[in-house]
Amino acid sequence: MLNTDPVIHRIDRRERPHGAHTDPITAEVIRHALNSAANQMKRALIRTAFSPIIYEVLDFAVAIYDRDIRLLAQAPSLPLFMGTLNFCVEAAVVNIGGSEELKPGDVLMYNWPYGTGSHAQDLAVIMPVFLADRTLVGYTVIKGHWLDIGAKDPYCTDTVDVFQEGTKYPGVRIYREGKLNDDIHRMIIANSRMPKAVLGDLDAQITGCRVGAQGLLAVIGRFGLQAYEDAVELIFDHGERVVRGYFEKIPDGRYLARGEMDNNGVDVEPVPFEIAIEVAGSEVRIDFSYSPPEQGGPVNCPLPSTIAASRVAITMLAGFGEPPHEGLFRPISVVTRPGTMFHPQPPAPCFLYGWPALQAIEVIYRAIAAAVPEAVPASSGGCICSVVWWGRRAATGEPWADGAPHPTGQGAWNGGDGGTMLHIAESATRFTPIEVWEARNPWMIEKLALAQDSAGPGEYRGGPGIDLQFRMLEPTNITTVCERTRNRPWGLAGGGEARANGARVRLPDGRVVEVPKTTRFVVPKDGVLELTTGGGGGYGPPSRRSREAVERDLREGYISREFARRHYPHALD
Amino acid sequence: MATRIGVDIGGTFTDLVYHDEATGATVEAKVPTVPQAPDDGVIAAVRDHVPRAIIESAEFFLHGTTVGLNALLERRGATVGLLTTRGFRDVLEIRRGDRAAMYNLFWKQPEPLVPRRRRREVEERMLFDGRVLRPLDGSALPEIARDFATEGVDSIAVCLINGYANPAHELEIERLLRQLGFQGTISLSHRISGEYREYERTCTTVIDAFVRARMAYYLRRLDERLRELGFRGTSLIARSGGGSMSFAEAEQRPFETIMSGPVGGAEGASELARFLELPALITADVGGTSFDTALILDGQPQVLYEGQVDHMPVQSPWVDVRSIGAGGGSIAYVDGGGLMRVGPRSAGAVPGPAAYGKGGTEPTLTDAAAALGMLGAGQLASGIVLDVERATQALQPVAAAIGHEVEAAAVGVLHIATAAMANAIREVSVEQGLDPREFALLPFGGAGPMMACLLAQELGMRRIIVPCLAGNFSAWGLLGADMVHAAARTTLLPLSQASLAVVERTAQQLFENIAARGAGAHAAENTVRLDMRYRGQEHWISVPVSFSSVSGCASRLEDSVTAIAAAFENEYRRTFGGKLDEPAEIVAVRAGARVRLPQRRYRAAARPPSARSSQSCSAYSFHLRRRVPFKLIAREAISGPLAGPAIVTESTTTLYLDASWRLEPLATGELSIQRVEDAC
Repeated sequence: MLNTDPVIHRIDRRERPHGAHTDPITAEVIRHALNSAANQMKRALIRTAFSPIIYEVLDFAVAIYDRDIRLLAQAPSLPLFMGTLNFCVEAAVVNIGGSEELKPGDVLMYNWPYGTGSHAQDLAVIMPVFLADRTLVGYTVIKGHWLDIGAKDPYCTDTVDVFQEGTKYPGVRIYREGKLNDDIHRMIIANSRMPKAVLGDLDAQITGCRVGAQGLLAVIGRFGLQAYEDAVELIFDHGERVVRGYFEKIPDGRYLARGEMDNNGVDVEPVPFEIAIEVAGSEVRIDFSYSPPEQGGPVNCPLPSTIAASRVAITMLAGFGEPPHEGLFRPISVVTRPGTMFHPQPPAPCFLYGWPALQAIEVIYRAIAAAVPEAVPASSGGCICSVVWWGRRAATGEPWADGAPHPTGQGAWNGGDGGTMLHIAESATRFTPIEVWEARNPWMIEKLALAQDSAGPGEYRGGPGIDLQFRMLEPTNITTVCERTRNRPWGLAGGGEARANGARVRLPDGRVVEVPKTTRFVVPKDGVLELTTGGGGGYGPPSRRSREAVERDLREGYISREFARRHYPHALD
Repeated sequence: MATRIGVDIGGTFTDLVYHDEATGATVEAKVPTVPQAPDDGVIAAVRDHVPRAIIESAEFFLHGTTVGLNALLERRGATVGLLTTRGFRDVLEIRRGDRAAMYNLFWKQPEPLVPRRRRREVEERMLFDGRVLRPLDGSALPEIARDFATEGVDSIAVCLINGYANPAHELEIERLLRQLGFQGTISLSHRISGEYREYERTCTTVIDAFVRARMAYYLRRLDERLRELGFRGTSLIARSGGGSMSFAEAEQRPFETIMSGPVGGAEGASELARFLELPALITADVGGTSFDTALILDGQPQVLYEGQVDHMPVQSPWVDVRSIGAGGGSIAYVDGGGLMRVGPRSAGAVPGPAAYGKGGTEPTLTDAAAALGMLGAGQLASGIVLDVERATQALQPVAAAIGHEVEAAAVGVLHIATAAMANAIREVSVEQGLDPREFALLPFGGAGPMMACLLAQELGMRRIIVPCLAGNFSAWGLLGADMVHAAARTTLLPLSQASLAVVERTAQQLFENIAARGAGAHAAENTVRLDMRYRGQEHWISVPVSFSSVSGCASRLEDSVTAIAAAFENEYRRTFGGKLDEPAEIVAVRAGARVRLPQRRYRAAARPPSARSSQSCSAYSFHLRRRVPFKLIAREAISGPLAGPAIVTESTTTLYLDASWRLEPLATGELSIQRVEDAC
């Protein structure tokens, strides 16, 4: 049984006294310049990366921190990585003996999952930034997904401890005072199935960090250290006020919501969990202390990603579309209990950390809905329904691999129907065109369609899920990760549930195997992988949906006549 | 030798420039844009500002317009029906799954141009290599055609999966639709684009079907009205990918002109860069509502092979002009958290900045500049006289909200706008691996020269070139837009001797396609480029190859496999800073044909022998951080070097020359501005 005490995580306000060296204009100019420096890091990374997972899927995070490891700016990439990087900078710096051990020209590598919040494949490159007089002024950081870091399979849903999940670099110097550390370099090569791509991406991460360091130094050089630091306080205060202003409008109280993981990847039982939101004045506390114990399969979400999921959920609501920085996170505190699914301890497996994080975002909105349903959308499909494929080409014996997330229906909200796109936690990512896929991989796509009757009904309806079918032309290994296949996405304020996610393989002999989570399943030639992604939940009672909207949904085929009869009888003659 | 007239329609103003080849005179004018009837604005500009004799003798009318763009943005186009392969009618709505506003939880994809009921499927299937898996079964077409007729469909788009690799089924559908009596326009995806990516190709085909009738009507009407004014030459419209095309061709391929607006500026900048032998130039086009910037390297704009309008991709060449919502009309405000912001909301043409005295009350960038004296006495284009008092009043509440004097707030507005524009410039140059400090800045548009010194200072750039006709430079640039035709086809091949024969054949077919568009009347310079990448990559880069085309004979590919491989490797190294060990492969063949317009040069009208101006005004110097006297001088009165602080006025724009900058007129008419090293 678990009886650790809950721990409260909030931003330690290492606030500096506000000097008179700035004003709201300089602060705005510096805010532009810092965001621009982060964007330039991102462009340099994309321009030089070797792997599509970086330059196409945008599976990375790019950020600039000040010397107190407070987030100054982050470039738009994978929202789920928003505000996670401070943890790995802190841990990496502690591991090498503290910031006084850092020298100009040092570059650190860090991927210990309980410090990054991610699986080991997500590796952070950290560059301390120094003035010419060797004063440490900040850090530039890029965490990127490495194609392979020597886990038991290229992608896994069934690991039982962290040691099956890849090589760990717990804060080591890949460069020491500007000189490549050859020992570490050879370790990297020896521990990857795809060393060439990995080394190329590492170089790209270092290049990006360098570009960011130059950008940060240029800002400080131009305005002076004092004015820059004062402006940063002003920027943080501004963001904090924006988020606080939002929560002041939400009635005080404690709001509870339930979520459930289908299973933990190894055992078959569902894993229910609860999250409570406490609003008090302008403060918001997200309480994960009722989470189930850490799991024997890889659905454990290390603390940094639990906090990140909370920050993503809150700032997407209350940050008004601003690029994130430390100030936006100040009103948010998070409570966890060590040894639970949302605060696992080594060596708990966490390869699928992102899936509980996605569920947590949806459940946080569900809890807020208990107070103010009009502030949030209903549940989305709640997953990215990922598939990783690999094999050897029949004609040439050459190895091939590919992987992709997929769109689901998005939840309706007070004022609009939901759309169909990737989950908000991967909102900048695109999936591959069919024609590109068919030219590259041994398969044929038989269908890519919006699924009729898959969206939750309501005054505003959810977005439909999609049906996608791949006919394999050669034997192919697949790993699939689909959550929420047992529970339907919920509606809000009387809105109805939507279709749940599904993944199955139709074998040539007619058998059908459900594969919501599977590792290294072999689909034979002419087997068909079928994804049926979930819809978004509805908002408001279906009886309030306007006649015109129901007629339009019928006319456009989003719903069938039978579905309309069942949910919208008022709109039919 | 050819007299020509250029008219560029912007969001706020319609700009006109004509060039009289006989006298060398170039005349410019600015009139307000007429959003409801843009051709009225064009005709008014030509009728009121171009002498009849010039109209009659002009050989070319060159046009940049936002008509197609606005039709898209405002969803005023044809009733389109879409035909596609069984299983894929939702490609248009599912898109690629991304969100345009990534931090916006409530973002929803725009309504597709074709609603779902008018997206219909036919039984057929091509494979990626052009083999037919399932032959076309046209038996459903009569029913579909009937439904389309009931729905009032007047334009049909056809985009089949892998239709780029084998057009047979698309062509057969067109034949059957005509047989069934459909009389509207039909857009076949393989004619629009020979490239793979079904969402992008479908979207482009649908855009073509959507705007075609409207564009054709607009172009025909404009052409007729020009002819009523006595014009007898050729009418050309700018292409999104650079250069121009005839109105007749644009009626057939309207999607190629969607982004013709900003192309004039990039064309003009390229021409100037070649003429002044400037290897690296960055444009800063500051209009009323937007700031556009483009890189000009070795006298060429950067061309992308896909563009975007209102979150919809357009699979067509696209001059890489980046735009942000910051211009003279951008509104300054203090947000809920207490920071001052500028834009992207704009006061537009109506009501315009407060200083225009047309009813605007919110403070804009122009108001801040007027309050600081940066626009001199305040005689602007179109006879607008700036009302500094109103500008100051409008700034008052913003200044109060941040506890500053009006002057400090106005300085802040300029600083913030500069920061936003400079970021856009930094990002386009860094993306190419280049440092903006090595570039010269080319400011133009109504407010470009006003921002030039501030931008250069912010970016650490040391040289500014103010072109002739800076306020109307986009229209001037149009006058030099050669006629250009382009076609491309995705052709996945390893780089080998055998593949080169396929490349050669494909290129020949592409040139035949171009000729079939009626583009063969003039002698063209043909070019071929190959999109190439390392095997396993998704992104590609485009590499030029030598291709001889002798009229009457079959054209030939001149380069060897080794030469092409080397060219690819060089380009890859230049772009990404390294090379890979993987074999190279060919992704697509691109054919281009350029018909050069006769050369023309700007010759300034003979200067009136005016005495050296001794006027001055008080304005804020950003360099000295206080108000100082600025020399006030008309551009045509400048005959030698001039050190800032000075304000240089011309009929359609005003140059703000801060202290620490020094200008020198070039013999060819441009103003070259350099930073003076600080004395202290």
